[in-house]
Amino acid sequence: MALADEMLEKIKLSIVNMEDQKAVELTKLALADHAAEDILNQALIPAMEIVGNEYEEGRKFIPEMLLAAEAMTGALELLKPLLARSGAKKAGKVVMGTVEGDVHDIGQRMVCIMLEGAGFEVLSLGADVSASEFVQAVKTANPDILGLSALLTTTAPRMKSVIEALQKEGLRDKVKIMVGGAILNQRLADEYGADGYAPDAASATRLARTLMESRA
Amino acid sequence: MYYLYNQVTEMTPMERMMAALRGEKPDRVPVHIYPRFAPLEYLGLKFHQAWEVPDLYVKAQILGQERFQYDCVIDYDMMGPVEEALGTVLKYPENDVPMVKEPAIRTKEDMKKIQWKIDPRKDGNMPKVLYVIRRLKEELLKRGGGKSHVPIMTWGSCPSRTVGCLLGFQKWFTTVVRDPEWAQELMELALEPWLEMVKAEVEAGADLVWVNDPVSSADCISRDTYEKLTQPMERKFIEAIRRETGVPVVFHPCGNWHDRLDLVAQNQADCYFLGPMDIRLCVEKITEQNRAGKARAKAINGNIGATTPSANDKKVPVPYATTLDKGTPEAIEAECKEVIQVVEGSGLRSIIGPNCWTPQGVPFLNIDAVVYSARKHGRL
Repeated sequence: MALADEMLEKIKLSIVNMEDQKAVELTKLALADHAAEDILNQALIPAMEIVGNEYEEGRKFIPEMLLAAEAMTGALELLKPLLARSGAKKAGKVVMGTVEGDVHDIGQRMVCIMLEGAGFEVLSLGADVSASEFVQAVKTANPDILGLSALLTTTAPRMKSVIEALQKEGLRDKVKIMVGGAILNQRLADEYGADGYAPDAASATRLARTLMESRA
Repeated sequence: MYYLYNQVTEMTPMERMMAALRGEKPDRVPVHIYPRFAPLEYLGLKFHQAWEVPDLYVKAQILGQERFQYDCVIDYDMMGPVEEALGTVLKYPENDVPMVKEPAIRTKEDMKKIQWKIDPRKDGNMPKVLYVIRRLKEELLKRGGGKSHVPIMTWGSCPSRTVGCLLGFQKWFTTVVRDPEWAQELMELALEPWLEMVKAEVEAGADLVWVNDPVSSADCISRDTYEKLTQPMERKFIEAIRRETGVPVVFHPCGNWHDRLDLVAQNQADCYFLGPMDIRLCVEKITEQNRAGKARAKAINGNIGATTPSANDKKVPVPYATTLDKGTPEAIEAECKEVIQVVEGSGLRSIIGPNCWTPQGVPFLNIDAVVYSARKHGRL
């Protein structure tokens, strides 16, 4: 058992240290005597929590977050089919995207990776997504949470348009909406009618968990 | 009231701005608000219309300045014409500056294929930017009776930002950590084309240059990476602009730079157009570097809250965020007064303005309040 724990610890550290190849190799080895769900819950999720905390504390920055996320994604890709087969319970389902007219993708991508690392099923629509595309995705994917990102003063108000479009289609109450991006703050999130605001990828994960609890 | 307050002046906008940028005493604090949208909104235009018909942009800049009475106009500004000429595909929104759609470089082989030598007078949209500067100069001079004109600010992209546009920002960020030598090589290559463009902009009639770096703040990279990688290139670019053109350089640290203000001040700009940061801390750090002989800052431009939320480093409160956009004229006046007092009290010159571009949809009365405040509280 001690050896097994050591392996999970090594995977965790390889992600925190942004060693993508090592994370994949160790995950392959770990799968010989670990359930995929254990690797996810005891190595990948804690690793991304550490990375997120270090980002919030100003000890890691965007490059380190992205590289750690790459390492985590490599490991997660190995686990995904096994998790699907085992019927492991997801933390929730999230549809994410940057609003129309805004091609800034890094923020929403970081949130997606952190959410995946935290056990959420994530569907990323990418950047420059129209209100009708968000509505369509909510209809077809039926997510628990819709995440909207914007970096610009000019595009942030389109979050409100998305929320209004969901209201018009009678979908607003079926999904929790969280917003984020450099230009956002709690006041704007309230003004747009969102259920929550997160200033960065780490807090977005916490917010998503809180929103899931409020759905329960 | 705000619009009409005390229009008696002793200096022209050019004299006022240049005095402040030299660290000399103007008749009153100048106002520079990076007026992209307000002039267009004044004429009922969207940005794409002014991009398609450059003379509309010129008209908006001139009539906007006459309406609001600030002290500096801007050219097309932040259009990315050099990055576009180097191969990056841009997306042009209806009412904003372009964004990167397809980066020019994905591999080191791509880098070798780029034609780094550009001709600003011929290639891509660069001639259009130069045309607007020339037309602004002609029209403003006409209005100044051929003797003086409102200063024209142009823009240059610092190497880190340029490479971000060439690589795509995600790849840029991972490259600075995983392959800093390549990041360095790319920045060295990217410096020259933009320097050529800035030289052409000044030759066309620009009177001052602003340079921004949106990728090196404490929100983006570590202080160590900034110190070793991007700050030296920032400094090299700023020093080259001054050496080659002789015009003042304003640097905009975009975002939160609280932990690296000493390094920012050492990049040798004449003026710092501050992002959403604590004015007292900025002034303290910049004057400290001036006293140590490591900086040459003469003025601070900013930093009334404009477009961004408070810098959230949980260490230094930033009281000015979003005021220009959402605040009342009274709140703006109070902030202007405070900024002027803090900056002028430090021995630096204040050029009052927002803490980023003046965003879309700012009530005209709020812009009037800035000019009013400079007239009321900025008489020196």
